[in-house]
Amino acid sequence: MKSTNEQTLTFAFMDPPFESERTVTFFRLLDAALDKGANIRVFAYEGAVSLSLSLQKAHGNSIHGRNAEEEDHPLSKDWISSLQHKAASNNLKFEWINCGLCVDERGVTDVIEGCNRGGPPDLWRYASESLNTLTIGTR
Amino acid sequence: MSNYLFIQSQDPFTETSTSNQYRLAQDLLLAGNTVTVLLVQNGVMPARQKAISKEFDALLNSTVVVIADKFSLQQREISNNELKNNIYVGTLEHAIDALLAGHKVIWN
Repeated sequence: MKSTNEQTLTFAFMDPPFESERTVTFFRLLDAALDKGANIRVFAYEGAVSLSLSLQKAHGNSIHGRNAEEEDHPLSKDWISSLQHKAASNNLKFEWINCGLCVDERGVTDVIEGCNRGGPPDLWRYASESLNTLTIGTR
Repeated sequence: MSNYLFIQSQDPFTETSTSNQYRLAQDLLLAGNTVTVLLVQNGVMPARQKAISKEFDALLNSTVVVIADKFSLQQREISNNELKNNIYVGTLEHAIDALLAGHKVIWN
């Protein structure tokens, strides 16, 4: 699958992991965009900078007697990683920038490979260079 | 004339702004634009036949295209035959197609 710059989409997202159904929908949109052969650029800001935190750990559920493996708790950093691999295997670009101001506020400096630090000008650059942009607000 | 696609995640039972969002879709249509509303998450809740929402029914009675996300319906155990008339069942693919076509895609 090949894609051109004209098929690049930017997504701006601000929800933290594990709190809202929007996060699931956001990742489903990214997956669908890759299926359509689009390059993807994500600008994560506010709580969304924690989506790529490398220190995330799956946990068990002692109430239901399941260990971490049985519970199979989804981690957003793993979803990002899966999308990175899917893009690479389809010769598509998958870029991710965390807003540095939001990172510093939260101390979320340990992120997985391929997720970089930037700032609001990067969102402007992403949007300016993309075919289209979708902003998903918290409300 | 523009093409609009609203990704409608909010529902009229918990978000008072939803009725205005429905009205905006209809007003854009009346102004000569093409408008599609893609229902996702709890946005699919008023799509059930027994759901009471005058504002949503008005949207369905307009010529706005209304699509319900299959995944969101399944999560809520809403089957296709429980849906009101004039609702298509689709996927998030519609949103990506609209983005790639250069349409205005707005998250509600």
